Amino acid sequence: MAARRLGGSSWQQMRLLSRRWCLQAGSAGKREQNRYSSSSTALEETVENSEVTREEIVLPRRKTWDKLAVLQALASTVNRDPTAAHYMFQDDPFLMPRNTASSRLLSLSKESGRSAAKYIIKEFPQYFDKTIAEPNIPCLMPENLTPQIEGVSEAALKERIHLRRVKASVDLFDQLLQAGNPVSLETTNSLLDLLCFYGDGESAQEKQHEQKGDLEEPEGNASEQKSPKRQFQKSLNSSGSRWRENNNAERIFKIMPERNAHSYCTMIRGMVKHGAPAKAYDMFTDLLNERHKADVHTFNALITAVPYLKEKFAERWVLVKDFLNHMVQQEVQPNVLTFNAVLKTLRRCGGVGRGVSLSVIKEMNALDIEPSLATYEHLLYIFYRSAELRPSTIITEIIEEVEKKSFTPQDPDDANFFATAMQACCDLKDIKLAYRLNKSMEKGDNWKFLDMDRLNAYWSKFFSLLCMMEQIDVVLKWYKEMTPSLFYPSPRNMFDLLQALDAANHLEAIPSVWGDIKQLGFSRRQDLLEELLSLMSREQHPEETQLAFAKCAEDIKAAHEQSGRDQAPLEWTGSALGHVVMLFSRAGRTQDAWNMMEHFQKINRIPTDQVMDEFLNCAKQTNCPDEAIKLVKLAASFGLPSTLKLKSRTEQEFELSEKQKKALESIQSDSDSSDSDSDSDRD
Amino acid sequence: MAAPVAARALRAVPWSRSCVPAALGARRDLHATPACLKTRAARVRVGKGDKPVTYEKAHAPHYIAHRKGWLSLHTGNLAGEAGAAERTVEDVFLRKFLYGTFPGCLANEVVLKRRANLLVVCLVLVQSLAPSKLYFLIGYAETLLSHFYKCPVRLEVQTVPTKVIYKYL
Repeated sequence: MAARRLGGSSWQQMRLLSRRWCLQAGSAGKREQNRYSSSSTALEETVENSEVTREEIVLPRRKTWDKLAVLQALASTVNRDPTAAHYMFQDDPFLMPRNTASSRLLSLSKESGRSAAKYIIKEFPQYFDKTIAEPNIPCLMPENLTPQIEGVSEAALKERIHLRRVKASVDLFDQLLQAGNPVSLETTNSLLDLLCFYGDGESAQEKQHEQKGDLEEPEGNASEQKSPKRQFQKSLNSSGSRWRENNNAERIFKIMPERNAHSYCTMIRGMVKHGAPAKAYDMFTDLLNERHKADVHTFNALITAVPYLKEKFAERWVLVKDFLNHMVQQEVQPNVLTFNAVLKTLRRCGGVGRGVSLSVIKEMNALDIEPSLATYEHLLYIFYRSAELRPSTIITEIIEEVEKKSFTPQDPDDANFFATAMQACCDLKDIKLAYRLNKSMEKGDNWKFLDMDRLNAYWSKFFSLLCMMEQIDVVLKWYKEMTPSLFYPSPRNMFDLLQALDAANHLEAIPSVWGDIKQLGFSRRQDLLEELLSLMSREQHPEETQLAFAKCAEDIKAAHEQSGRDQAPLEWTGSALGHVVMLFSRAGRTQDAWNMMEHFQKINRIPTDQVMDEFLNCAKQTNCPDEAIKLVKLAASFGLPSTLKLKSRTEQEFELSEKQKKALESIQSDSDSSDSDSDSDRD
Repeated sequence: MAAPVAARALRAVPWSRSCVPAALGARRDLHATPACLKTRAARVRVGKGDKPVTYEKAHAPHYIAHRKGWLSLHTGNLAGEAGAAERTVEDVFLRKFLYGTFPGCLANEVVLKRRANLLVVCLVLVQSLAPSKLYFLIGYAETLLSHFYKCPVRLEVQTVPTKVIYKYL
């Protein structure tokens, strides 16, 4: 019986084994075969189950793989190389950037090389328009930006608007009107769109042509125009041009025979963008009088302009509520940008903003609008960046929300979220929150919100927080992994690192930190050098550490003495010199120490007693009585009260020859004579 | 007028080498064996010992695949593949273009590698220009060549302090 069962079951077992192998290779999501677990089951059980399920052979559903799945799987096996620079740089020691400034410079020069090539391609399109690729790649072909349709007609005007030629389209429009041909409302609206977008300045291409023509003239005019209205410009618009009085857009708007809602909306948005918020508000009142309906973008623009329309916080909030009521009346659906605009305005409303922002968020949730990162950024700013840091749990809630998913960019202000959040964590000194924020940044696509500058700022703040709050080995681990591949430490970061090393009594790592400082190009910063020297010379250390410190001191001395092409040489301070002398003395480098002592006279400073004692110790160890005598002479020339003490020490501790003894005596006589002079004065 | 007359006169006479005036020093002897001239392709002739020469130049073409690699790698020369001539013409243009774009910086010949659609240009440059200038030229060359050849072009640059001299000939 048992044998039969075994014989019978062996064939089934083979099938079972192959099935189980398939199962283990496949995913765990196959509900139908959950009965087969990968753990071993008894023979009888498997025989039983196989008989039950032999009738139903359930084929697993076919998996469809993404085209890039293999590449993504391979990419997940490759970890980040902590020694390499960013991918855009060449992998060569000469061409790798060492610090933030260098990385910016190199990435910008590569970009300017690209735009130089694009300029060549635009100037000589006839060499680049052969289609040799099969299928044709449109992004590698030169763009055709010259208008094809000639003559004075509406189609020509439409084409020039499409090609974004501002001046040409305005001229053509005027010509059309003068010739008596009416231009349709749509075309006029699109012309207004173009003018309001560019603010009656020129688009980028035309600017290039202008600059080619007259190089000296535009710069002076532009800067004069910009200065009076700087504040509006900086905050409101990015294109840098001003809304001039009675410019082309206004002129065309006035002479339009009929206007519809679109015309008003475009004008309002253009005025807000280019720094004329009062006019925008007047235009809005006109729109209401004409009983037109504005669209959601216009309302968003008006809400962002509110801080420039009213001064008092309460008035600003009243105006915002006013706009929102208009929106309700005109049945315009708000979107996420509307709420972001409201919060941005509330940023500048102080206490009023704080009280109201939470209800804004509740409204957003009620309308089922997903908040974007900019929403959270505005909230953090409102609650955490004001002068009084009231503790609140908002940041925890926000980080919880952000952890859950990967965001897509919806608002230009999204990019500032991570930097603001990290700043808030640093202010609150909460390292756990910072770790959570870091994890959420690495999730999905969230890392794409940080470009090079923001990445540097973010990691810089994170590293400062780490240095303050974490153990030294954790700090050093992060330091090794993050620099120089992810970010370049700032001088502040190096300061914090030195403090952390000091707190952990780990000062042997200082020479390697000094190497990094040199590489980053901070070797001429006085404050860093002072900090380094004082940390190194504070206590006596074991022999090899002392030698390493002396080498650092030598480097620092060299950094002081060499002067760059346009840099003034670094000035020595008294304390720095003293520290260097002590470091040299402790390492037994008497000659170097003496050279440094002579610097004291040049900078008119006096060495401290401790420095001179150290020097004497060193001279004793290396058996150089000459140096000791020179030291006493130096002390006498300064007129120091410790001269006598030094002299007595020299006499006792050194074996002096006759000549040296006489020299020592002569010094004493100098100081004695000065004493007797003073005595006689007293008499 | 005189020449055709003279030619006809010469043709009338049975041709032999003695016709040619020997006084002029020109002789047209009969070559019974094929002429075997020295090969001069891609070889630097040995001189006084003051001519510095890189590894690439020091080795003659018969050392390719033994001591040298190829400067241009593509599948056009395999059996059944087309486009070998086009690749060669592209190579010539690329070398001239890069020689001009990086003035005085090329330490060695340019190595061109083609993988599917991608063209990888491997340069060894001398560190004569500042890194920012080199990056400007790299960005410029990559974009221009991509638009010219309608395929992605990537420059991989390695820098050396001076040209690497293998020996002096």
